[in-house]
Amino acid sequence: MDWFWPEGFYAVLMLAAFAVGVFKLKLPVAIAMCGSAVIGALSAGFGLHPARLVGQLVEGMFGYIDTILIIATAMIFMNVVQSIGLMESVAAWIIRRFRKSPFMLSCGVMFLIMLPGMLTGSSTACCLTTGALVAPVLIKLGVPGKKTAAFIAMGAVLGMIAPPINIPVMIIGGGIDMPYVGFTLPLLIATVPLALLVIALLALPSLKKKGAVDEAELETELKRMESVPLTARLFLPFVVLIVLMVGEQTLGMPLQFLVSSASAFLTGRRWNVLESATNAVKDAIPVLGILMGVGMFVQIMTLSGVRGFIVVSALAIPSWLLYLSIATTIPAFGAISSFGAASVLGVPFILALLSRDQIITASGLALIAGLGDLVPPTALAGIFAAQVAGEKNYFAVLRHCAVPSIAIAVWGIALIALANPLSSILR
Amino acid sequence: MGVMTLIYRGILALVIFLVVRCCFREKDFWKQTTAAVVVIPMLLRLFMIK
Amino acid sequence: MDLNFKGNKTTACLLLGAALVICAISGREFMANAGFDDLVPAAGFERKMLSDYFDGLRGSRMDTPVFVQNGAKSGGSVLILGGTHPNEPSGYVSATLFLENARVVKGRLFVIPFANASGFTNTLPQEASPSRIHITRSDGSARSFRYGSRDTSPIDMWPTPDIYIHKSSGQELAGNESKNLNRAYPGDPNGTPVERLAYGIMELLRGEKITLAFDLHEASPEYPVVEAIVAHERSMELAAATAMELIGQEIDMRLEPSPKNLHGLSHREWGDYTDTLPILMETANPSQGRLRGRTDETLALTGLDKAYAKAAALGRLFVPYGPDGKPLSQRVARHVASISAFLEMLSLFDEENGVTVENVPGYEDIIQKGVGSYLGGIGRSN
Repeated sequence: MDWFWPEGFYAVLMLAAFAVGVFKLKLPVAIAMCGSAVIGALSAGFGLHPARLVGQLVEGMFGYIDTILIIATAMIFMNVVQSIGLMESVAAWIIRRFRKSPFMLSCGVMFLIMLPGMLTGSSTACCLTTGALVAPVLIKLGVPGKKTAAFIAMGAVLGMIAPPINIPVMIIGGGIDMPYVGFTLPLLIATVPLALLVIALLALPSLKKKGAVDEAELETELKRMESVPLTARLFLPFVVLIVLMVGEQTLGMPLQFLVSSASAFLTGRRWNVLESATNAVKDAIPVLGILMGVGMFVQIMTLSGVRGFIVVSALAIPSWLLYLSIATTIPAFGAISSFGAASVLGVPFILALLSRDQIITASGLALIAGLGDLVPPTALAGIFAAQVAGEKNYFAVLRHCAVPSIAIAVWGIALIALANPLSSILR
Repeated sequence: MGVMTLIYRGILALVIFLVVRCCFREKDFWKQTTAAVVVIPMLLRLFMIK
Repeated sequence: MDLNFKGNKTTACLLLGAALVICAISGREFMANAGFDDLVPAAGFERKMLSDYFDGLRGSRMDTPVFVQNGAKSGGSVLILGGTHPNEPSGYVSATLFLENARVVKGRLFVIPFANASGFTNTLPQEASPSRIHITRSDGSARSFRYGSRDTSPIDMWPTPDIYIHKSSGQELAGNESKNLNRAYPGDPNGTPVERLAYGIMELLRGEKITLAFDLHEASPEYPVVEAIVAHERSMELAAATAMELIGQEIDMRLEPSPKNLHGLSHREWGDYTDTLPILMETANPSQGRLRGRTDETLALTGLDKAYAKAAALGRLFVPYGPDGKPLSQRVARHVASISAFLEMLSLFDEENGVTVENVPGYEDIIQKGVGSYLGGIGRSN
């Protein structure tokens, strides 16, 4: 009881306030997190100096100031490549080229869904850009709506974990002074087999059924998508981005994304800069807001001692239970935010696993943290995927995500358990 | 102040402008609130206060 | 209950106005730590600025005061550097204690209490650090010091690169280390603000022919290098003798060699690029650790924390952790007693270059009377 009181109580109170905010009051996740941070701070007695408390809350947000610039500019980039017609053109090409081979087709579609997340580190980016693009096509190809949404949600989660950009790894690495270097291969190992599994479970069975597709309707849709011809020049923004990412690392990602977006003026359909950029930011604001909410939440957890309570409690778990607790507590905390879970639990867990290869262990932890985007109430990936596939009830979508999600958790734990043998193979 | 700092302050100004624009276009009060919250740290960094 | 309200242009104006008010309130909090804390140097200290040694710092927020006192007899010279990491208070409080008490008999003593001046104006997000600590003096008045961040403030260095490449070695580190003074040595006169700061300190070491230099730090109790002396290979013999001497005083100090392949740190680059004997020392500070519970000024001053007590019981710490915690007075006492022991050993090893300093309190004195008893009074209470 001495250990639990009062920090454990603050923790429960903050979680309860968050749950009430989201479920009862139907507030956006970002606002509910801000609210629960304030309630946590007040209950822990930090309301006596209101100005100081405001300073603390605002300071917490600064933990993600660079991340929100990356997400905002990456969303602008994704919106621009959509505006010039590149994404639709590529999707139509993949469908025509691989129509006869359902496996290759679903691999292509999966890659398209994952791509925005790979570049932005945000599952929301996947759902709202390429996810929205392929959803009607998948449905027309015979995949049921709920399975389409589940396929997009799983692709989005795997996309946010796949390289080159993985924000949970960056958050964990920041906590143990580990540079974001050498993660490409481990993160591919973490995601590619799972992507294949998702394809086999959710897309292939429906795509293989013959005669279920209205060919005429599909053809009309493909014609519309191909209105911008797929030329090498249309890929210019991606080429610029890759060149900058490989060659000019001093620019930083936000500037890389903006320069690549600007190159889109030279190719493809004409687009309205201001409208594209505003729409991109409009889609990004809920995610940016959640990051701000997580920032405040973590700051107050640190201030009130809840962070230490959680960290030392996690370290006190007997080692044979450690894997189980990683596989359950990180996704559970991910219900608030997968980024928050990476910060609050990812760092202490990697400290408890210091004897293992840090890069592979962090990759495994990040993979499990990604699951947080499928856990209600926030379930960002589930909610947005359901939205773009036209499904009203995202819980029905999440049901189809259950098996692949368990596979993600198991695969993540396997990576951590086998980190050392794996790293000697990779070297 | 370095060139890169000035460029990044420019990027901040752009994103702030877009977020404020969204805030004015938004019809949902809580989404407007979210936008207003996001503006706070960006403004403080833009003016190099924090 | 449903709190769905309609939004319009008016609500947007109101909300953005509220955001501005929050910016103003928090901005005032953030700017409160500008400038330098008051100091009461002992008689004989002359105040210079680091920019007197490297003009590239003049007028910048990286410039910082340097205090120097010459003894009547000629001898060597010693530098005490505090505040490399402004979230490690025993370092800068120990430097201040020397500044406010020392009477140099032989040789010269240099003190830089606030090495990374920029870091003192900033606290790190999500660390919930207190912005100030208050140390009570024997007359009941208090001396207040800023509690800053390990990194240079983003006001002086932003954006941060994704990966920090240390210039002279090519070593790659996480991007935030680019703002860390103790990864920036030997510095670069045309480099980033913190590289210029590091270069200024190197210029002082070279220009003043510093014999022995201390970089005072603290570390988390769960970090392996803590309550330790880290010595360059050239200073190892002196450090080993000092560690033995400290055992005689029942002060346990780990002795760690400076890793040859870890670059940018004072104990490595001071030794490689100047003739100084470099010494870095660490005490244990729970208020900067990852396992800490409630984070506030009390924790910074007492080091008393139930999360650390539990972690100690779990065998997770690298220092003994008793019911007294890790009080600041004890941490300062360790630094001060160690420096005194080093000065004694220096005079033994190299009489010509020895430095003799009087009026510095001993280990037990500081613990029993409290560090505040050895700090000067400021203002009315003076």
